[in-house]
Amino acid sequence: MKLAPPLWVLAPALVMAPVLLLLPGISHGGGWELIGQFAWAAVTPSLDPVVLQSVLQGLGITVGIALLGWATSLLLGLALGVLSSRTVWHTLAGSSWPAELLRRLLAVPRAIHELLWGLLLLALLGLQPAVAIAAIAIPYGALVARMISDLLDALPTRQLEALRGAGAGPIGALVTAIGPPLMPQVISYGGYRLECALRSATLLGVFGLGGLGAELRLTLQSLNFQELWSGLWILLAAMLALEALLARLRSRWAMPGRLGLSQRSVGRRGREMLLATGLLLPLLVWISAGLEVNPATLLHPQPLPPAPPLDLATLAAFPWPWLIVNTLVLTLTAAGLAVGGAPLLLLVAQPWWWARALVRLLWAFGRLWPPPLTALLLLFVLQPGVLTGALALAFHNLGILGRLLLEAAEAGTDSTGCTPAQQALEASGCGERLALLYGRFSGLASPYLAYGAYRTDVILRESVVVGLVGATGLGSALLEALSSFAWDQVGALVLAYSLLTLLGEDLSDRTRRRLLVNAASADALPA
Amino acid sequence: MLSLQDITVRGRGQPRLDRVSLELTAGERVALIGASGAGKSTLLAVANGQLTPDHGCVRWQGEVQARRGSRRRRRQQSRIGMLWQELRLIEELSVQQNINAAQLAHWGWPRALLNLLLPLDTAVCSALMERLDLDPALLTQPVSSLSGGQRQRVALARLLRQDPLLLLADEPLASLDPRLAQELLGLLLEQAEAPRSLLMSLHRPDLLPHFQRVVGLRAGRVLFDLPPSEVVGEQLKALYAGSDSRP
Repeated sequence: MKLAPPLWVLAPALVMAPVLLLLPGISHGGGWELIGQFAWAAVTPSLDPVVLQSVLQGLGITVGIALLGWATSLLLGLALGVLSSRTVWHTLAGSSWPAELLRRLLAVPRAIHELLWGLLLLALLGLQPAVAIAAIAIPYGALVARMISDLLDALPTRQLEALRGAGAGPIGALVTAIGPPLMPQVISYGGYRLECALRSATLLGVFGLGGLGAELRLTLQSLNFQELWSGLWILLAAMLALEALLARLRSRWAMPGRLGLSQRSVGRRGREMLLATGLLLPLLVWISAGLEVNPATLLHPQPLPPAPPLDLATLAAFPWPWLIVNTLVLTLTAAGLAVGGAPLLLLVAQPWWWARALVRLLWAFGRLWPPPLTALLLLFVLQPGVLTGALALAFHNLGILGRLLLEAAEAGTDSTGCTPAQQALEASGCGERLALLYGRFSGLASPYLAYGAYRTDVILRESVVVGLVGATGLGSALLEALSSFAWDQVGALVLAYSLLTLLGEDLSDRTRRRLLVNAASADALPA
Repeated sequence: MLSLQDITVRGRGQPRLDRVSLELTAGERVALIGASGAGKSTLLAVANGQLTPDHGCVRWQGEVQARRGSRRRRRQQSRIGMLWQELRLIEELSVQQNINAAQLAHWGWPRALLNLLLPLDTAVCSALMERLDLDPALLTQPVSSLSGGQRQRVALARLLRQDPLLLLADEPLASLDPRLAQELLGLLLEQAEAPRSLLMSLHRPDLLPHFQRVVGLRAGRVLFDLPPSEVVGEQLKALYAGSDSRP
């Protein structure tokens, strides 16, 4: 018995079986009326000008934080990425150990979720816009740095050697040989990071770091669903507009897609790109003036309440294995639901255009909705716990994975939206769903699952954000420790969390590489 | 068996097919010739039910073609098999899974999923492989590991697994070297014994004597419909006049 590729894609959805079995056990049925009111409010959002104005103001702050955090992270990542590249060190200094060292060090800021950075900085520095921006810039910067150093080291070094051989100086040779092929990748990846930054900024807001998120949470907790929906619809519009703009720029500038399925010519219209980048600068300055960001405040910690003495007994008494197992169960359940759920929904909706549109809308909301808000909503009908947290995380990641799957599924199709193999199946009388499963998912399986492995690693890091629905492993313990200023516990928990994340990252990298090697060797064979 | 009456398919500006009528009876072998862009592929797409014409009537075994996406249309389509020029095999699946994919029109989900898990109907597939001179041991191999000639035969095996009454082929010989082309044509003609019929588009006048009828298309219209012995240089010249691609 051997699973064929189309089944790989669906296999993670098997986790639905235990989830569906357990769901009746944790539902308390008290709040269906509230869910009904919430759903009804979707079509009757508040149009009160006062509400709308405050929503727009909140959105402005969120977008500003996202843009500034993103831009800072790109600069930071570019510098650190170049500094942690083996090729660069090898060319400049003849040895690559500083690159290795920096790479290891950068794993730490990357392993800690932006929300944790936000809460830590908030405790240290007090509430100010610079905190949220730094919270995004630090982990994102480390992520971008890794991406850039990986790209740099994966580039063929032949041109570089040729230039060096011809007598070019080390820096000149590096810039000439590596700059042009790197640029489109960086800009394309940077665009995706901006989408992520908008989501992160909304999330940080939910935890009180400024912007629209705070209002979403307040209106939800005060059951003010009509005002909540005003915020959600406007946020949805902003997010879809940003995604559409970036998608437009990507295709106009011929950027590589994320799953790397379409091999197009890469990187056209260099001048336009430079111009756009140039226009961003004054915009960023204007935004930071508007938000009254003062980076200098990052250097002035506020006085902390006196730290309680180190309490090793409490630390040792923590149910560590239980916390870790819970965190892993949470992560894997959410990942299974999201990775397997996206293709399953696509299959179900395939024959009807309206169902496909509905699925798209659902996914857009999933992306937009910070998981803690979903978790709070789920608490109306479910008891707090791992499963509730997993469902909230799954919904968010389903939106992200679904969009990616759709993007990839649409690449390589013709005007009828089918691949040749899919069309051949349909022409032989096969139903649309089976044609999609056989003709489309076969080719998508490897790259999609490789991305799924990466996403699982992200979900592990992200599991802290649903900590507030309680009893969900390290995340909730950490949030509790943070709110009681128990710094020894915070330290120990962050350490445990980072170690777990680093292990997870390593595992997901290996899985991804294996999957992609499979795909690449299949491509290399004669067609 | 298949009757096309007054078929028009609109395109940008000029129609891709312009009031084309064509009757195919059981056991007939018909060649379709014409310059590139004359509408051969469009005609085949209408014949296999992939494309619904803007105007005109398609009848299959006396029944009017059913609505697109309906169960009846799929049943009609399942008796019409098509051999594509680029084969359109599913690279990531095994030979056996590819051959069995021809049965998806009849299989429900359980069997379709099981086919992705276990080797199904091995006896039927092996028999097809042997009939086409392929080693049945290849059944478990992924399609992507086969040679060009082997892939060609696997596509043919999939076509036969469908057990179609009408075989359609869209320039199947175009990208093959002469030896492979000869082999494939031989196999196709061999399989197209009555009651099966064959409608095949091609570019090679030298092969026309293998067919009973030759339909010449030009700019979306039928220029002639004759036995091959009556297709002479003059007709071919008219067919390709003013176009770049010559036979």
